[in-house]
Amino acid sequence: MTMTQDRTDERPAPPNGVEPVVLATYGLTKSFGNTLAVDHLDLTVRRGDVFGFLGPNGAGKTTTIRMIVGLIYPTSGYATVIDHQVPREKIEALRHIGGFVEVPAFYGNMSARRNLRLMGGLNAQVDEKRIAEVLDIVGLSERADSKVGDYSHGMKQRLGIANALINSPELVILDEPTSGLDPQGMKDVRELVRELGKDGTTVFLSSHLLHEVEQVCNRAVIINRGRVVIEGPVSELHPEHSSVKLLTSDQGKARDVVAALVGAQQVTVDEEYLIVEANDGTVREMVGRLVAAGVGVDAVIPAREQGLEDFFLGLTQSSDVDTGGAAGVAGGAR
Amino acid sequence: MKLLRRELTKLFAQKRSYVGWGGLLAVPLLITLAFYLNRNNHHHDNGPGGVISLAFHNGILMPLASVAMLSAFLLPLLAAMVGAYQLAGESETGTIKTWLMHSISRGGVLASKWGIAVIYVVIGLALVFVGGLAAGALAFGLHSQALLSGQTASVTHWLGLSLVAYLYVLVGVICVLSLALLFATVTNSSLSAAIGALVVFIVMNVLGAFSYFDFLKPYLFTSHMDAWQSLLSQPISWHPIVTGLITFAIYIAALMAVAWYLFRRKDILV
Repeated sequence: MTMTQDRTDERPAPPNGVEPVVLATYGLTKSFGNTLAVDHLDLTVRRGDVFGFLGPNGAGKTTTIRMIVGLIYPTSGYATVIDHQVPREKIEALRHIGGFVEVPAFYGNMSARRNLRLMGGLNAQVDEKRIAEVLDIVGLSERADSKVGDYSHGMKQRLGIANALINSPELVILDEPTSGLDPQGMKDVRELVRELGKDGTTVFLSSHLLHEVEQVCNRAVIINRGRVVIEGPVSELHPEHSSVKLLTSDQGKARDVVAALVGAQQVTVDEEYLIVEANDGTVREMVGRLVAAGVGVDAVIPAREQGLEDFFLGLTQSSDVDTGGAAGVAGGAR
Repeated sequence: MKLLRRELTKLFAQKRSYVGWGGLLAVPLLITLAFYLNRNNHHHDNGPGGVISLAFHNGILMPLASVAMLSAFLLPLLAAMVGAYQLAGESETGTIKTWLMHSISRGGVLASKWGIAVIYVVIGLALVFVGGLAAGALAFGLHSQALLSGQTASVTHWLGLSLVAYLYVLVGVICVLSLALLFATVTNSSLSAAIGALVVFIVMNVLGAFSYFDFLKPYLFTSHMDAWQSLLSQPISWHPIVTGLITFAIYIAALMAVAWYLFRRKDILV
């Protein structure tokens, strides 16, 4: 938890360059029957953050978002959006929010344009120009007048983003916006989120993909079983060293040579590969030593992403153990 | 108001709206057709009795004959479906969360749902009225007609009576609609909500049909549904009409208050 000072101390923007808080949760808790889906969650998102809300499926991400936008009521705790407390002042809070939860839902018998006309003007006046603009941003201009019922999943996802942006809200909340998209669609959406961040919009992006959050977010929190596991700038979420996969003519000998260089704990075996935690500088040194020792180097494969996913899994699994195993994870999925 | 305007847009964009209206409109046309084809058979023993049989030779009675036939079941059924669908239908498609993520109050959403369902029924009843009158005029012409108490009343008098009767039936049907809307706040299935409302409607009808349960009768809104027929005698006995309207109003207010209470804090999990 990085922010503990009184909310009223933070507005207007503190002089030390820290941006004001756009979204915060305070001990946000939700239980469904005996299942604790979100457990005293404290988050702080500041203006201009592209904030990654990361966790495995069933970690409580969607439940948290539903509480933030007032779709469900917390068992205890609350959230604040700009200056408004949710759920108490959710109508005011929602004026500053655009976004969607799970799969964006629209009227299938109407065109995208008509759907945006219908929903767009609820928070503020919206004209045809703005509707065309957001449709263009998400690349739906050409299909703007087709019925949404004929849209692919990816197009509905894009329409959800268009609807989220229509009132140029201060806070955009996107729940797994790339889920179910093809690679190009994922790339487009991530690019779009990055652009939003550059323009100063605060984005709250939930995802179960660490590398996605790493690509687009500046700050992130990892939650599991409704609790914060780790929070901070994305750069600090990395394991300290990146990894390479190593394949040689003599893996046993290679292991000894590499262990002598980087230390035995940094070398592990994964199927036929040696996994070496090493940065770029040591990789050259390592290959040099292997060749000098008469070991043929067949392949050196950067495995940074692999390392991150392992890191992520390690974090979320260890907190499973802390809270008594995996039972109930599925129950917390909402 | 901006919500109700949006509900109107949606209502007219949906094909199923027209199916329901079409079904309602078919009833006066079919009744008229049946009477017309049967016009030389003076026994007309195969038709329903009461007001409906009066309509045999006079188009002016067709609107009332139609509503008498509809208010027993088809109209409550449609009202239950429409009330249930307005809210639970949005849960089924997930669009309820899209709405509620905007800066609008849940009370306003519920009120607009109630409003649009009422508008739907009003349009339906208007179609029945106009359809019945037009078909009746074509088949039999519009003539002055004797009231149930024997005095002859003019075409305009009958038109007035029919309008008042329609308004009365409308308020009664809004009870069913409100009941369905209430059920729609607790279930996410429009079919369940509609069936729930119909079950209550049928149970009330059954209770009202047995003399053992007579003590309940004044408290069941269903027992007041046909009270408009007292309009057809001279002098008009207003007492059952007023009692009926008060009963309906209490039902509607109570049902919507409970619906609001439940919907206000409902966890939207669709």
